[in-house]
Amino acid sequence: MLSRLSFNTQKKLIIFLFVSVPLLLLLTFAYYPALELFRISFTSWDGLSPDRTWIGWDNYKEVFSNSSIFGVFKHNLAYFVVGIVQNILAIYFAVVLNSKLKGRNFFRLLLFLPYILNGVAVAYLFGYVFDTTNGSLNYLLGQLGFGALSETSWLGNGSFVNYTLASIGLWRFMGFNMVIYLAALQSIPSDLYEAASIDGANGWKQFVHITLPNIYKIIELNLFLTVTGALEVFDLPFVLTKGGPAGASETFVMKIIETAFQFNNYGLASAMSVVLLLFVVIVLSIQRFLLNRKGE
Amino acid sequence: MKKVLSLAMVSAIMLTTLAACGGNNAGNETNKATNTPSENAASNKPGNGGGEEASKIIGEVVFLTNRTDMIDKEYVDYEKRFEEKYPGVDLKFEAILDYDKTLKIRIASGEFPDVVFTPTLPNNELANYFAPLDDIPFSGEIYFKDLKAHEGKMYGVSSGGSTVGIVYNKKAFEKAGITAVPKTYDEFLAAAQKLKDAGIVPLASNFKDKWPLDTWVYDIPTLIGEEPAHQNKRAETETPYTLDNAYGKSWGILRELYEKGFLEKDVNSTNWEQSKKDVASGDFGMYLLGNWVINQVIENGAASEDIGFFPFPSDNTGVAKAPLNPDFFYAVNKNGNVQAAKAFVQWMIEESGYDDFSGFIPTLKDKEPKLPQLAEFNTYSPKYFEPAQPVDAATQIQNKAQLDQAATVQEFVLTKDPQKVLDKVNAAWAKAKKDLGL
Repeated sequence: MLSRLSFNTQKKLIIFLFVSVPLLLLLTFAYYPALELFRISFTSWDGLSPDRTWIGWDNYKEVFSNSSIFGVFKHNLAYFVVGIVQNILAIYFAVVLNSKLKGRNFFRLLLFLPYILNGVAVAYLFGYVFDTTNGSLNYLLGQLGFGALSETSWLGNGSFVNYTLASIGLWRFMGFNMVIYLAALQSIPSDLYEAASIDGANGWKQFVHITLPNIYKIIELNLFLTVTGALEVFDLPFVLTKGGPAGASETFVMKIIETAFQFNNYGLASAMSVVLLLFVVIVLSIQRFLLNRKGE
Repeated sequence: MKKVLSLAMVSAIMLTTLAACGGNNAGNETNKATNTPSENAASNKPGNGGGEEASKIIGEVVFLTNRTDMIDKEYVDYEKRFEEKYPGVDLKFEAILDYDKTLKIRIASGEFPDVVFTPTLPNNELANYFAPLDDIPFSGEIYFKDLKAHEGKMYGVSSGGSTVGIVYNKKAFEKAGITAVPKTYDEFLAAAQKLKDAGIVPLASNFKDKWPLDTWVYDIPTLIGEEPAHQNKRAETETPYTLDNAYGKSWGILRELYEKGFLEKDVNSTNWEQSKKDVASGDFGMYLLGNWVINQVIENGAASEDIGFFPFPSDNTGVAKAPLNPDFFYAVNKNGNVQAAKAFVQWMIEESGYDDFSGFIPTLKDKEPKLPQLAEFNTYSPKYFEPAQPVDAATQIQNKAQLDQAATVQEFVLTKDPQKVLDKVNAAWAKAKKDLGL
């Protein structure tokens, strides 16, 4: 049947058919729900009832005026700070493991392994590490002679619980960042380093003037992942602290889930999701602006 | 060699994490089952006409259950015994997970099994799907008659009840030199002090996990105010939480226990699974939880005779009081095999032994519970408070105010100034109440 058509038409038809399937899937499962999210964010839908009352911008006003909703963003700051440390560590390990080190594949595996583990399982695991009375961390500190430090309530102190949680994220995602950096490092041609060392540049100078500029785009990518990760963190506090003590480790995504599924306020929760989306876009724009300006 | 080593490591990590994942659900779920809040349901498909009532108890009866663990075990025996009594009936069991959601979808489709547990529907919608059960000739009075009722007709029969009190390790009490079970609040504090002096953590609060604090939100205020409808009554006021009402007093007790060091060493780092082992071994003295926890403590290594259960003395009057909470309710599909289904519900309540198997307080008022700890509990002859039908208004305000009461309890206990916490909650409550126009 197809053979009667001209080659060009056949080509177009095939392209159209092949492209339409993924496009259709994308539209149904990504764009349609996203549009629906925007629509629901303007209603006071409770998740069950057939009528969805249009209430205009009320949900958005609520998000920005209610400090108990918007205020939790400051808990995400800790994940942000630790995320930067995580990237610095990842570059360091990537550079070290890119050199001719004995057993480097083993170390790469060791650092990457945590990323493969399921997030909830990791959270449970660290529940046992950070336990105040029976935890392995406090036991270790006690054995090392830090008597007072070994009484620390790592997950129970409102002032640093977020840093404790973020450090688990560091353990988990550092290896992933490292692998990306490693791939970038391996793509830098080695003659650049040879030329530099003939010119008498030491290791640090080579790092600053050759390595960094060459992996600049990759740093940007990793920071993008870190920033979105920091804004959307959810599983660690959800499993480990339930947002405690007294809401000190509650994150914005936890708040969204609570609003939708505990308080049956799907409208407000949708508005919060949209705000989170906007927030990610804004923070990333700032980051791009700063990095690009510096790059030029 | 390298590969073997890494493989071994991966599997070791997997195993430990998997082991850590298990458990934890059982307690949570049992607890949830006892306080199911009423929600609005979307599925509003009216039933089409009533079926002809069979005059005899014959035909097929299907029971939709949430106990997947009992299929091919206890249920085989139930089927045999039930069909022996009613030879004309073919009894079938169907077990599903995610019960409430799945059942609602099946009800909306118009076809669902003859006997089910009531889904979370407002009571006024029950008549659309279920047959009234008032004419089941139970051998005596039953508990929770009015909870799933509408306009004088009962649509749900509770499968059993549970209560809340102090579950304690008798060995730990012995070691601390406590000879008699405390009957007043002062005696309770003295006992806790003795436990603490003996190096035992007096009360396992499981503070961090939030859900164990529900007893302080729902049950203890009932005892203090002698008013089970306290959650509903909140809708009538703009300041439902004050220091001198049932909530303030209930949470004040927990705060006092915390300040005196009668709870875990670090309440923000508690571990539910470990706490069961600690109560079983006597490292922890007591729990304030439902009787469902008793079997779990025994599973964790305690001898049954070492675990006791007594009503929590919330005041100094010496009168024993306890809440009585229902578990799931049986309901009968009004378009199904109604007569046989009713016979099955009656048989489940009176003869199956399901209540004893689950460690429930039997729904029949004169029937004594089999669990020895519940029998012990009853020797203190506590005054039982049955819960009130939940009222939508209070739930609506609570959702609008985004109020998580267990989280408020945490804040109340940890803060320097409890009044401030209550002020904050009351302000949110009053605002939500006003916004909803209630």
